[in-house]
Amino acid sequence: CLQTEKILHLKSHRGRKVRVVREHYLRERVPCYSSLCQADCENDGKVLPGDLTHYVVPDVGVVVDFLEILEFRELQGVVFTQTACQAVQHCKGRRQYNRLRNLIKDPRHDCVLFANEFQEYSYCPREKGESQEKWQTRCVYSAAVWYHNHLAGMKDVVMITEDQDAVAEYSSLNAGVYVISDFLQNFWPELQPAHELYSSISQALQEKESESSQKEYTEHLPAEILEAGIKSGRYIKGTLNINKHHDEASIMTEGLSNKNNDPSWAVLVCGNKNRNRAVHGDTVVVELLPKSEWRGKVTALSEGEEKSGEDNESKPMPTGRVVGILQRNWRDYVVTFPPRDGTQSQSRNSQRILAVPWDRRIPKIRISTQQADALQDHRVVVRIDSWESTSLYPNGHSVRVLGRAGEMETEVQTILIENCIHVPPFSDAQLREMPVNSPEKPWRMDPVQVAERRDLRETHLVFSIDPRGCEDVDDTLSVRSIAGGKLLELGVHIADVTHFVAEGSLTDLEARIRSTTYYLADRRYDMLPAVLSADLCSLLGGVDRYAMSVMWELDAQTLAVNKVWYGRTVIRSSYQLHYELAQALLNGEPAEVPELARLEPEEKDAKLAELNQALETLTHVARHLRAQRDRGGALELEGVEVRAQLDEQRNITALVPRQPLEVHETVAECMIYANHWVARKIQETFPHQALLRRHPPPRQEFFNQLVESAKAMGFTIDTRTNKALADSLDRAVDPQDPLVNKMLRMMATTAMSQALYFSTGLESQDQFYHYGLALDRYTHFTSPIRRYADIVVHRLLTAAIAVERGADSGRAIASNKELEELAQHINSKNRAAQRAQKLSTVLFQCLYFKERDPQTDPQCVADAIVYSIRNNGLLVYIPEYGVKGPVYLKNREGQVVAAGEDGSCEWQSGSLRHYSDRISTTSSCGTSTFRLCDHITVRISVRSTSSHADSLNLEIISNKPHRSAEPQQPHSQGRSQLVQEVVRQAEEAQQQAQEKAARRPKLSREEREFSQSKTPNLYSLLEEVRELALMDLDTAARVCVTSASY
Amino acid sequence: MGNVVQRRTRGALRRCPFEVCGNMAGLELLSDQGYRLDGRKATELRKVQARMGVFAQADGSAYLEQGNTKALAVVYGPHEMRGSRSRTRHDQAVINCQYSMATFSTAERKRRPHGDRKSTEMSLHLKQTFEAAVMTQLYPRSQIDIYVKILQSDGGNYSVCVNAATLAVIDAGIPMRDYVCACTVGFVDETPLADLCYAEESGGVSSLALALLPRGGQIALLQMDARLHQDHLEALIEAAMTACKGVSKVLDEVVRQHLQEVSVLTGE
Repeated sequence: CLQTEKILHLKSHRGRKVRVVREHYLRERVPCYSSLCQADCENDGKVLPGDLTHYVVPDVGVVVDFLEILEFRELQGVVFTQTACQAVQHCKGRRQYNRLRNLIKDPRHDCVLFANEFQEYSYCPREKGESQEKWQTRCVYSAAVWYHNHLAGMKDVVMITEDQDAVAEYSSLNAGVYVISDFLQNFWPELQPAHELYSSISQALQEKESESSQKEYTEHLPAEILEAGIKSGRYIKGTLNINKHHDEASIMTEGLSNKNNDPSWAVLVCGNKNRNRAVHGDTVVVELLPKSEWRGKVTALSEGEEKSGEDNESKPMPTGRVVGILQRNWRDYVVTFPPRDGTQSQSRNSQRILAVPWDRRIPKIRISTQQADALQDHRVVVRIDSWESTSLYPNGHSVRVLGRAGEMETEVQTILIENCIHVPPFSDAQLREMPVNSPEKPWRMDPVQVAERRDLRETHLVFSIDPRGCEDVDDTLSVRSIAGGKLLELGVHIADVTHFVAEGSLTDLEARIRSTTYYLADRRYDMLPAVLSADLCSLLGGVDRYAMSVMWELDAQTLAVNKVWYGRTVIRSSYQLHYELAQALLNGEPAEVPELARLEPEEKDAKLAELNQALETLTHVARHLRAQRDRGGALELEGVEVRAQLDEQRNITALVPRQPLEVHETVAECMIYANHWVARKIQETFPHQALLRRHPPPRQEFFNQLVESAKAMGFTIDTRTNKALADSLDRAVDPQDPLVNKMLRMMATTAMSQALYFSTGLESQDQFYHYGLALDRYTHFTSPIRRYADIVVHRLLTAAIAVERGADSGRAIASNKELEELAQHINSKNRAAQRAQKLSTVLFQCLYFKERDPQTDPQCVADAIVYSIRNNGLLVYIPEYGVKGPVYLKNREGQVVAAGEDGSCEWQSGSLRHYSDRISTTSSCGTSTFRLCDHITVRISVRSTSSHADSLNLEIISNKPHRSAEPQQPHSQGRSQLVQEVVRQAEEAQQQAQEKAARRPKLSREEREFSQSKTPNLYSLLEEVRELALMDLDTAARVCVTSASY
Repeated sequence: MGNVVQRRTRGALRRCPFEVCGNMAGLELLSDQGYRLDGRKATELRKVQARMGVFAQADGSAYLEQGNTKALAVVYGPHEMRGSRSRTRHDQAVINCQYSMATFSTAERKRRPHGDRKSTEMSLHLKQTFEAAVMTQLYPRSQIDIYVKILQSDGGNYSVCVNAATLAVIDAGIPMRDYVCACTVGFVDETPLADLCYAEESGGVSSLALALLPRGGQIALLQMDARLHQDHLEALIEAAMTACKGVSKVLDEVVRQHLQEVSVLTGE
């Protein structure tokens, strides 16, 4: 079955030239992946359709340089050759190669890979003296000819190349095989974005050739030397991490290469020269500098131009310089084109602009463009192409224009892109997968499904408790007493999302890429289409819904677990309560339950009593569970982000702190319990491939600040275990000032490490512990509508139930490796979602204060509490707006803040002294001291920059607490008002702008709302390709089959 | 009856540099389309070619090529004990194996002294393999010498040596329980790869060498010095056995062909 042929390959190896002989096996049958195939090739997976006018075979040079254009979904029938793929791997590195691989796997793209070098008749051995480029071109051409012949001449094949010699040499050799160079102009004259991208890339390529030869940086060392250096311990490998505030970078070393076991061991890299073209996030190799050149970290609050004198540096730490880069971590960057002035070097024929990235950690990027005038002050998405040692800045090309800097929509889009969040509207193909539920065609349950599931509609009183106005109800509860009151049956019923979202479907892929619903300050981007998230999956009151249930049989007295049942059910939620209503019912206050409004009084009372009974039992059980966890050392922490992560409450409320009601805790406790038991179940059934969530214990040194601050206030904090920490935090209450405890809890929160999803095959069992909740195993199960991890856990649970029944689960569950990859992806998306949420909050704060004059508007003066002391200032927290920020006590002229008799502060020349728990300024009018947890009054103004995000500037105006004239409003109102206010202003501004610019072409609704055009534009196309990295071959193949069968 | 050689220490450590090398060079050992570096599919063996009876002087000899790995095996004996008499066994023959590599066998010419650690170990493995296969109890107080030389090395040296030596033993007319066939398998992307070549062996694959008596399915030797998850071992051994059975078919063919030629020559 195998034909062998030995071919010599010359290779240089480890620096020395060595002749290596490698075998090369050729075969007659290599699948062509075309539906026109006459020879019965084994074309499993993606197949090129037969109804195209031609197939395209891109040349090696085209694939290497213009891959981004080939990613256009409009280009159909693309045949990538193995020769080209290997060339990409060699010239462009792993990242670009993976991108190509994902493109080939992506079922939405009409392209295949042909293994031409393993095909007997399309392979051509390299001839003596033939240059590599020539040989590659010949290989690709012979592959194109083979394709034409293989399909019996039924399809014309077009080979595209940028090499004019190749056109001259090959164009007339074979009929039906065309070799051309201006493919886009000939075949796609109307595909405007592709043309723009093409000119953008080719301009960048030309620029690269005309670079001056003056060296700005030292060359990177070759990979073998780096490898040997790392092994011998001469060099250190790590990830470059650039500080947001100072111009310094550090390398976080990875465990193995580091002899020193202290995990906080890092290498400092100072200055651009030493950083040697590495960009934030790159995996780099550093060489340590001699000890005499070691420096310390800058600890002072810097305002950008501050000189880093000796006095505000910490003790010297290892310092090094980058000698090589192992893996680039370039992503899409948002940059701002500077306003045009004479200083830019635009004198030469082309227009090269130095654009300033939004992220301060990224160096300026040089972009060649002809639209420099039009793009002034616009935010643009760019990609970095290269960074030669001869160039001070990296070269890039622009991809997409977001809009004018400073506008709300532009800024929101900027935040999304900077966090690699890509949320295009759901595609038609995806929406076609969805079940229909319209008044004409209402959705009904499938009798087969109903028969398979346990029916709880008649037997159980099921109800949900959610925030007011909640649309996506994914959890419901039930409780009843059975066996004559001896046992309690507690049930948690979760929306059965996996029933609607089949694994590997387009909806599933999209949800997996998004991983979570993104909540920004003023909007949200759903993970699942609305028909699922707000309707069919949502466990609304009074309608039949599928659910995934966990039911416990508890002893009525001791509440010990007797039996647990997991399974799919059918439920009908009787009451859709909200928290306030449920609490009112519990408290025995008169409350109107909307579901009972129409009933007769007697019936109503009976039903109400039944509901009340259930709520009371539930509260009783939850109190018991909570007490159980508290004994184990569960933490109650303050802080928006962590709260959303640690408990089961909804993220939406993150901006609006909840009124703490007991019923919140009751619901949360039930959800935690369900998550815990599901985690136990899947971990026991699949010990090596269950998706759990762990919360590693924090490192003790992170608590230093907390312990010191608490000491300054007269409290002791014991951080040895989570239990000790919880207890000591409970004790640290200042009766005068409730904010003190809140502050301490907030500081404890910042010391915490992040909770993470992981695959159980990767950690030992003692690492599964969830520190915050004090549970040995935990996972996320209860919110499948808005978290992808829950969907995975649902699938695992379904498989576990099938295993228990002895039935084959049908599909193999994901292996440990796949699951770990998925867990990493979800973790990174969750972090991105959090960052985006935080940034959008800051954005709205800035937009809010931008409209106000800080000198006159009373809204701009607020009370602040000091939570940390730095060398030249304070870090304060403003509870009213939830803002944290620095307050400087010393300005650039060397003046310090001096407090007068009435507390008002002004700048005077003087000196500053810094202690661990206080900072004092001395000037002609005496000494004023600021301590931790002091309340001060600050004025809030906005510091605008054109190219970065705006930030809030806090200025101290009094060292006394701020007392506003009117009584303080509840915080929540203040903050939600803030968002509404800003949105309203933005809308008004937009309307005005539109009226003004009535002559301009009208924008579609989509464009106005999201700066996104209706048609899938270039950026979204490319982005999808990139994100398909997640998709494995298996699923890709399956999607192919399904899409082919339509 | 089988010997299982287990060396748990150092295996993973020693492989580390290769692994990193492989990753850095970005060698893709198994492409998405299921091709290996040299164009084979995961279960396909390299081309095996062999000849028996290449030398007249020795009692048995064979030359075997498996892809680019080429080995020469020579068998002397059974004859009376030479050297120290103390090793004499009264109930069975002693098997003496010697493995060596030609200086020109790799890409860089390198002097390879006898008795270095690697070749001693290999000799020992060969000895254990053949002790399990040759019916030594038929020749008490005697000795069988097996010499194997690698002429060209391109991965899977052990298995090529075993296969060549089997043919040589058969050529010498020494009774064996069955052919001993050996094959290396590696584990990449959850897929077992049969018969690794050098590029694959050095590309950071956890590999396993297995010598099998194919008819009974008994394992004569199993050697593995890389880290591998226990769950995958079963699949890997299964793949190795299939590969060994493939080799045995080829060897059987070679023996039959050789017998035919010889019988024609002797005029029977």
